[in-house]
Amino acid sequence: MGGLFEKLGDRAGILALSLLAWAVLVFLILPLFVVIAISFTTTEFLAFPPVGFTLRWYQRFLADPSYVDSILLSARLAFGSTLIGFLLGVPAALALKRSTMPGINFLASLFLSPLILPAIIIGVGVLQITTALDFPRSFAAMLAGHVVIILPYIVRTTLASLEGFDASLEEAARDLGASGLVTFLHVTLPTIKPGIIAGCLFGLIMSWIDVEVSIFNTVIATSPIPVKVFNYVQYSVDPMIAAVSAGTIYIAFIFVFLLDRLVGLEKVTGRK
Amino acid sequence: MRITRFWAAILLGIPLIYLVVFFVTPLCMVLADSFSNKAGELTFENYATVLGDIYYWEVLGYTLWLALVTCVATLLLGYPLAYYLTLVERRAFVKRLCFILILMPLFTSSIVRSFGWLVLLGREGLINDGLLMLGIIGRPLRLLSTQTAIIVGMIYVMLPFMVLAIASVLQNLNPSLREAARDLGASAFSTFLRVTLPLSVPGIVAGTLIVFTLSISSYVTPRIMSGGRSVVSSMLIYDQFLLVFNPFLGSAIAVVLLVTCFVLIIAYTLILERKPVRS
Repeated sequence: MGGLFEKLGDRAGILALSLLAWAVLVFLILPLFVVIAISFTTTEFLAFPPVGFTLRWYQRFLADPSYVDSILLSARLAFGSTLIGFLLGVPAALALKRSTMPGINFLASLFLSPLILPAIIIGVGVLQITTALDFPRSFAAMLAGHVVIILPYIVRTTLASLEGFDASLEEAARDLGASGLVTFLHVTLPTIKPGIIAGCLFGLIMSWIDVEVSIFNTVIATSPIPVKVFNYVQYSVDPMIAAVSAGTIYIAFIFVFLLDRLVGLEKVTGRK
Repeated sequence: MRITRFWAAILLGIPLIYLVVFFVTPLCMVLADSFSNKAGELTFENYATVLGDIYYWEVLGYTLWLALVTCVATLLLGYPLAYYLTLVERRAFVKRLCFILILMPLFTSSIVRSFGWLVLLGREGLINDGLLMLGIIGRPLRLLSTQTAIIVGMIYVMLPFMVLAIASVLQNLNPSLREAARDLGASAFSTFLRVTLPLSVPGIVAGTLIVFTLSISSYVTPRIMSGGRSVVSSMLIYDQFLLVFNPFLGSAIAVVLLVTCFVLIIAYTLILERKPVRS
């Protein structure tokens, strides 16, 4: 009998846990759902649930060149900084993993440290250095800052994929007469590719959603889309800004989809 | 395959130069500025201002309090979700749906997410409407620009980080340890308390550390959710740099925030090391 009650108790526990988990999941998606819903309202003010259905607010923001410019600027920043992050981060990760140089552990933590440093301080610092180098508040300044914040993501995922790498595969290739470069391109690279792709996707997204670094290094007239939305929302909110915001949520969904297709969502929590 | 120092230097050289120029040097400049003034003299006046005025202490205290509340709340909400996701749910498509729901907010700018809460917490927002309909309240509550709004916003923005940090540890736990505990007669609850929970401490530590450091420096969410009524340290830094144009005082505030953050993190990890968790 005791066993039966215990079993019932366990089941009740599991049920309570599942309900709590789903309540938290609803909490996580609700605000995004609301933003998308109100972007279709026919009213002039924010209404939830939305009244009617219209694409007017999307038309209005797509007809406004300043929003389109902001989105293009954000996209250029994201791709530019990820490309630079890739070119810097992958070789760095290889060297950090494979070298026995003294101080290599210190260097590894240096490469990962922008992750734990407040982004706002990185933003301020980039403003200071670019002022000294005479390109403050410009595309190049934002690009420089974004590379700093996304580099650790690329280094970290590449390092993680090298962690589980079977070194005997490379030795086999070398024994069979492949040169160092050929071994790298045909053996090492394909194995660590998922890690690199995951890092680059995270890099793209971290640049795309950044406010803290951009805000110190941009001019109001041409700012990336999150900064533009931020400056707008502080003073007024209307269905058009909901449509702009909803647009960024659709892009987030594309990134989640790509991550699922190219790397696998479970891998996000896989190895560190 | 080991690489020689020559190749390591080639591969690391340019990335390292980049980090020194755009990361290390800027931090040193902020540090140097905090000991400087408009005339370019060496001075302690910025620190005298920051440390001598009760206002700055209050703001710092509020910033730390907010980060702590966010940490605890995300842990309490995030742990059950991470547990459910990794150890309870077996269906692959449900798991995938959960991951999508967790990653979607993570991949959306904090400004867009805070905007969603502005709508939800408004006078005629979903929360007030729901409470009215259920008869819990008689007239709409003022939720926007309150402490509740700030805390809800912060929890919301930080929760995915906590869930992923804990889930990544739970996922890699050896299931045979739990099975052994159950076979030896432990209930599900005591198995959790004595086996799973202690083994998941590294995930809790990683999660609380990342949530704490991100909370302490977050700017967008407190600004939007408080409507400018509550001030956190990052707002002071922003104002000094971009509104008052006093980067020297701004730098001092930034350094104080950074040092406080580091001291707390080091203290936290030291406390954990003194009580080692058997694994």
